[in-house]
Amino acid sequence: MRRWLIIAALLCTAIVAAGCGGGSDNGGTSANGVVTLKFWPGQNDIPKQALDTLVARFNATHPHIHISSDSGGVLADEMLTKVTAALASGSYPDIAYIYGSDLANLARSSKVLDLTDTVNRPSFGWNEFWPAERQAATVDGKVRAIPALTDNLAVIYNPKLFDQAGLPYPKADWTWDDYRAIARKLTNAATGTFGAAWPGAGGEDTTWRLWPMLWQQGGDILAPDGKKAAFDSPQGVGALTLVNQMATVDKSIYVDPDPNSEHMQQLFVNGKLGMLIGGPWSLPDMVAAHEKYGVVQMPGYNGDHTTIAGPDNWVIFDNGGARTQAAITFVTWLTDPAQDVVWDRATQSLPLRRTTLASPAYKAYAKTIVGMDLFAKNLVNARARPTIGTYPQISHAVGEAIVGSLLGRTKPADGLKQAEQSANSALSGAPY
Amino acid sequence: MPATVASATTSSAPAPSWRRRLFGEHPSAWAFILPSTVLVLGMNLIPMGWAFLLSFKASDLVTPGHWVGMANYRALGHDPNFRSAVGHTLLYSALYVPLSVGGGLAVASMLNRRIRFVGIYRTAIFVPFIMSAAAEGVLFSFVLDPQYGVANSAMHGLGIARQGFLQDPAQALYVLVGIGLWGGLGFCVIVFLAALQDIPKELMEAAAIDGARRWVVFRKIVLPALRPVLIFLLVWQTLDALQLFDLVYATTQGGPLGATTVVVYYVYEQAFQFFHAGYGSAVAYVLALAMFAVGLLRLLGGRVQRWRRERALAPGGAR
Repeated sequence: MRRWLIIAALLCTAIVAAGCGGGSDNGGTSANGVVTLKFWPGQNDIPKQALDTLVARFNATHPHIHISSDSGGVLADEMLTKVTAALASGSYPDIAYIYGSDLANLARSSKVLDLTDTVNRPSFGWNEFWPAERQAATVDGKVRAIPALTDNLAVIYNPKLFDQAGLPYPKADWTWDDYRAIARKLTNAATGTFGAAWPGAGGEDTTWRLWPMLWQQGGDILAPDGKKAAFDSPQGVGALTLVNQMATVDKSIYVDPDPNSEHMQQLFVNGKLGMLIGGPWSLPDMVAAHEKYGVVQMPGYNGDHTTIAGPDNWVIFDNGGARTQAAITFVTWLTDPAQDVVWDRATQSLPLRRTTLASPAYKAYAKTIVGMDLFAKNLVNARARPTIGTYPQISHAVGEAIVGSLLGRTKPADGLKQAEQSANSALSGAPY
Repeated sequence: MPATVASATTSSAPAPSWRRRLFGEHPSAWAFILPSTVLVLGMNLIPMGWAFLLSFKASDLVTPGHWVGMANYRALGHDPNFRSAVGHTLLYSALYVPLSVGGGLAVASMLNRRIRFVGIYRTAIFVPFIMSAAAEGVLFSFVLDPQYGVANSAMHGLGIARQGFLQDPAQALYVLVGIGLWGGLGFCVIVFLAALQDIPKELMEAAAIDGARRWVVFRKIVLPALRPVLIFLLVWQTLDALQLFDLVYATTQGGPLGATTVVVYYVYEQAFQFFHAGYGSAVAYVLALAMFAVGLLRLLGGRVQRWRRERALAPGGAR
């Protein structure tokens, strides 16, 4: 027994020492004055290839910085788990790709750099970024990340189904009542055609589609002080009731059971879905399938067509002065219009900066995909979700209310009331 | 019995050197087990200990966190979501374990005969076991799509009404049991098949000559011979069922309306989605305790059995 203890103790020390040893650094500068950065972009396929090209270009033009891009072995969906573990172990990357909804939680770590001063330098051009991007990168009034990718929601429609039903294509000034009426007319149980679709797995993809409907009517997710939920309002109930009526009375909504909402995308491509609320990421599949489509901004309430953007971020971690400076240099370079265009093309995302949108290279690209320009123009109408640590819990609670309404299991008013209770309990710091 | 060995070495040999005392008779043995020891310690024991400490903290893994004593465990007692997660896990296990073990035995008995193309059947039943849960999830989410899935159109053809399957809170967990069985049955079948083929043919033949019917042969010869394997599978499948996660993650993500939130998924949700790592660890430790109890039960069961057998064989016992 004693023997065991001694050996166990030795091994423990060895492992702990090895674990720490890997993370130790001397500011990241090697003998020849080159700063090496660990970059976890979490991409695959075409975006990865584009990033690899950009990284190679950066390495070639910046002799004192070397970017080592390895993704930490995970893709963006698992990045948060990976980064959390990396932070706990003390050996973390310099730059990682973090989903917008995860930033607030990660930003509690003091190792996540405060970039407020950096972006406020006139040369950085913070105002060239869209309001929703800046909002999504800001936590408690401090800028904790640089926007990495942006999108927003609009309605993609199938002109063929509109023609068959003898309906005119939706106009930019349409309302949610128009949306409901059109969806009902497009729905045809005999041919298995639906007018509209909504993700039914209850994740953030279910929830965030409701927020524009709330904002357009002057409602909001949180009370102005940010300490209480405010979505259980006449506006919230009105919005959810519309969704509930469409799903249960008109039966014009296809409720997608897939956690990644891929069935509804597939349905649209197969010509069985009239209108899909989607983002620029939805377009390539349709182009590839040679399915004709049109894009129109979200329906509105009282002429307000506010939409939602879910920007993702580059988060920079504090690994000492030299590495931090180099990381800022790299990310700034990466979001520069010359590189932004390459990245947008690869990820089918929207320009990060207004200056990119105005550049001839971007304009030429946007022309190649129908509707891309509309999504880009739509960015000025976009808002972001609140960047608070309890957002995932609020999203979960509201997601349940929406699924309950879609399946006709709960009344919209009851569902939202219960969700607001859960949200308030989360905001007050309770674990459930 | 180890006492005799120990006393022999200590009495005959001179005082062993410190090296010998530290590393034992065969120091090189340590070199052989070192890699696995490091793995077990580094990948299992240390994280387990760390998670145990974490369960007494309020921690989000991002910031250092602080001690809260038993507060996480106390909060568990009042958490309705945790209670329903436990309920879901228990229901899943109560269905999955007997069905997979019983079904496995039935299928293995069928496949333990000389029939044409038996190799193909055996392979076919085992293939789903090799499939990853993620692939299984994608496959079944298409098959069971309430609107467009093959399952509903086949049932429609038979005149049965459309089902919600994974989208119906009342059905989802049972559907998951079905998918779990589809993937997990193969393992039980293979283990049972191996055990069945180990039963000496002569025993069965002798029984048949004595006029025993097939059912009697099964009950008096096959079942007792399978007993150790049966117990192993029961324990193994129970642990498997209690740890259900990947299937839920790939198909329902705990929904609809929380109907398939099992304990491990709840841990994931708390720790990695809501950043309540301390609370999540407490949930994980409650589950670990339950699994430990299952193992202990098995161990005690074995002891009791051995004790009974020894007593039966002892002089004076019934012979």
